[in-house]
Amino acid sequence: MSRRQYDDNRISAPEMTITVTSMIIGVGILTLPRVLAGTTESSDGWISIALAGCFGMLLAFILGKYGVLLGNETFYDFIGKLITKPIAAGLMIVVMFYYAMYASYEVRAIANISKTYLFERTPSEAIGLTFLLIVCYAVSGSRIGIIRLNTLFLPFVVVLTMVVLFLSNTIIVWQELKPVFVTKPGPLLTGAQESGFTMLGFESILFYSTMMKRPKDAPKAAVFGVAIPVVLYMGIYLACVGIFSQAGLQEIGYPAIELAKEVKIPGEFFERMESVFFTIWIMTIFNSCTMAFDMAMHAGYSVFKKGKRIHWVILLAPIIYYIGMMPKNVIAFAKYGSFISYIGYGLIILLAILYPFAKRKVKRSWASGSTGGNA
Amino acid sequence: MFYRSGRRNSRHRYQQGKHKRQQNNDREAIPLVSSINANLDRIAGILKAPEDLVVRSFKIGVNRHACAIICIDGLVDKALIQNQVIDPLLHHFTEQQVDSANKIATLVVDEVLTSFDIGENETYEDSIGSLLSGDSVLLIEGLATAIIIGSSGWNSRSVEEPQTESIIRGPREGFVEDIRTNTSLIRRRLREPNLRLITYKLGERARRTVVMMYIEGIVHPDLVEEAKRRIESIEIDDVEGSGTIEQWMSDSFLSPFPLIANTERPDKVTGGLLQGRIGILVDGDPFALVLPITFSSNLQSPEDYYQNWLIATLTRIMRLGAAFLATFLPALYISLLEFHHGMIPSKLAFSIAGAREGVPFPAVVEAFIMEITLELLREAGIRLPKPIGQTIGIVGGLVIGEAAVSAGIVSPVMVIVVAVTAISSFSFPSYSFAISLRMVRFAIMIAAAFFGLYGIILSYIMINIHFVNLYSFGIPYSTPFAPLFWGDWKDIILRAPVEYLKDRPRMLQTRDSIRMKRK
Repeated sequence: MSRRQYDDNRISAPEMTITVTSMIIGVGILTLPRVLAGTTESSDGWISIALAGCFGMLLAFILGKYGVLLGNETFYDFIGKLITKPIAAGLMIVVMFYYAMYASYEVRAIANISKTYLFERTPSEAIGLTFLLIVCYAVSGSRIGIIRLNTLFLPFVVVLTMVVLFLSNTIIVWQELKPVFVTKPGPLLTGAQESGFTMLGFESILFYSTMMKRPKDAPKAAVFGVAIPVVLYMGIYLACVGIFSQAGLQEIGYPAIELAKEVKIPGEFFERMESVFFTIWIMTIFNSCTMAFDMAMHAGYSVFKKGKRIHWVILLAPIIYYIGMMPKNVIAFAKYGSFISYIGYGLIILLAILYPFAKRKVKRSWASGSTGGNA
Repeated sequence: MFYRSGRRNSRHRYQQGKHKRQQNNDREAIPLVSSINANLDRIAGILKAPEDLVVRSFKIGVNRHACAIICIDGLVDKALIQNQVIDPLLHHFTEQQVDSANKIATLVVDEVLTSFDIGENETYEDSIGSLLSGDSVLLIEGLATAIIIGSSGWNSRSVEEPQTESIIRGPREGFVEDIRTNTSLIRRRLREPNLRLITYKLGERARRTVVMMYIEGIVHPDLVEEAKRRIESIEIDDVEGSGTIEQWMSDSFLSPFPLIANTERPDKVTGGLLQGRIGILVDGDPFALVLPITFSSNLQSPEDYYQNWLIATLTRIMRLGAAFLATFLPALYISLLEFHHGMIPSKLAFSIAGAREGVPFPAVVEAFIMEITLELLREAGIRLPKPIGQTIGIVGGLVIGEAAVSAGIVSPVMVIVVAVTAISSFSFPSYSFAISLRMVRFAIMIAAAFFGLYGIILSYIMINIHFVNLYSFGIPYSTPFAPLFWGDWKDIILRAPVEYLKDRPRMLQTRDSIRMKRK
């Protein structure tokens, strides 16, 4: 007789991988092929994606390592011991605003893209508001529920991307992918930086690794979580170059969605695949947005330790909505996106640098703890 | 704890109830006295001597010892009382000399009565309780104890084919109103010594028999504890039927989705018990409850296991598709017509536009008119006597559909959409699940009317948010998709060949997870 038990509030390594992947895949990839076409030559953008992916995996690995150190503490309590409470509190408030902005970016992106592909007359404020309300409904539930939503939605998105890539197989002009390796290192690195922005989200491992059954698996799960988007991104990018050519790609607003437009569905059951593609894609954008909102709440709550979830939802939702609607046009919005990404990478790199110190400190406390026990 | 309580305040309520019941007991728990006349008067007095209370007094033995048998007419098997109680009593003591009442009582129980269901009790409340359950009470002069003879026998429906869950292949037996017959239907399928039947008398006034069943050694003990706690917390004058118990025990009353399954089929209950679930039978109700369930349980039918696995798998995929259509089809129609004309292939778009020519309403209104008409027809079909019910189907389906089209109120395409939706919603094994989807369908239609495809996907997301936060006795409703249980996928959409279904569902955390010996 075997006895299997699972704790209700714990997540397994595959679920953590799915979480990281869902957090990463969002709005970024929809525009990435255009951005890459602007910086790199021919189809060399995939090198940039790969470089960014490797860098992301490295950072994800380091941040995943925190999972073991944290134990049952929240991230704030842990980092507070390392760099004193006030600095940690300041850091967490930055984290809170970072994630609030992240969520607001997603809300605004949904509004913008829906306006382009689904609606003609509905105002984008209304679109964004309904989306945010649904997100509020999700975050006022349980954290474990948010993780489970990822598990429910990600398969749709991955399968859909696979189907689109498979169907686009027939219309790709392979000639467009050549020549290869013609871009200089400089532009490649610029492209890698741009790709890196779309990889943001793997730092969610910091906040969710404490919920894992075995936090030891966190680094591995995070690395896999980054690897899946990297592969998908490369596929989408190459297909875009193959179909639109590098020159044409620069003119297309959301190449990944346009890719779906070009695809012909066998049987011609319905037309304009891009609407369906984006509709399904909303699920993963929703996941990213929900988790960002949740982490903003979590960061805020860990500092102030006051209020229920619903209070934080009510507090943050108007802020998110307001800053999301602030950028006046697409250019301002793109700038806003880069701004968030810089903050994100700043935080991530800071934490990655802190890791060796954190580890030494924890080791020392473990060592002193054990000797204390013996004496 | 994994199987956690759903309602925070139910413990409190339970304790309150206990207190109240205690008071009742104080009032009525009066011991019987040794005088037979006093006892008879008191019992008749409490019941206010109704017409169906039968008192048969007689004297036994050489010294004419007074005895009386009381029962309620209609609840008892009269032949049984006559042959197994009165007859032996009158003939056994003709020659014997017995003085003390205690001796008579011992003799009566040990040697005289031939019926096998015999008990004793000492209070008026218990005696009356037994009387009202169909037992007979034997009182003897000088004895402060009543002898209870199990003699219940009343008319009940014979076992028939279930009305709501027909299947092509498999047993045709369905539960009936009589709980003893129902437990026997389960026992006959499951000769398992570890099958536990826990009996409750629920309802302050109705005292209805409710039986909770589970197989010890399979089911998770915490689940049993939690189910018991919830059953015991029921505090109501009459539980009325399985429906009331279901609502009382559910984790959430805000959800439209069933969190406890109901079924008329003994084989479904048996299957559930063997999977590590709990079954609940209620006296007077041919529906049994099975708990806990998840979303996917609603798409499973017992027939899936009687068919070849390929057929069963195909049927399940079809049901999943039906669930999708029943929920989203009208909404998709609305959103395509109102927002995304471009998505319809051009030839089809032309024919739809042609068919809609002359229809004065937007697609939403059209869809609502037809859907509401259909719901009305469905409801009317249930209420009307059977022969007329069929007529309603014909009138509704053919006449109204045809007439509405030719009158130009709705387009023929809309009729097709509504018909397909209706057919899809009839194809689920679980009726209560079909009702939930009906409700959700209307909500999604409204969402689609406002936001098109965007509204549909947001409603889909909302349903999923609801699912992940919904629990049935501690098991997330979205199991085994999230949290992931790969092993259980063998029997969710796919129904793997019987040889491969080696384990019980892992999400139920059974104590004995192996169904088959591994070679």
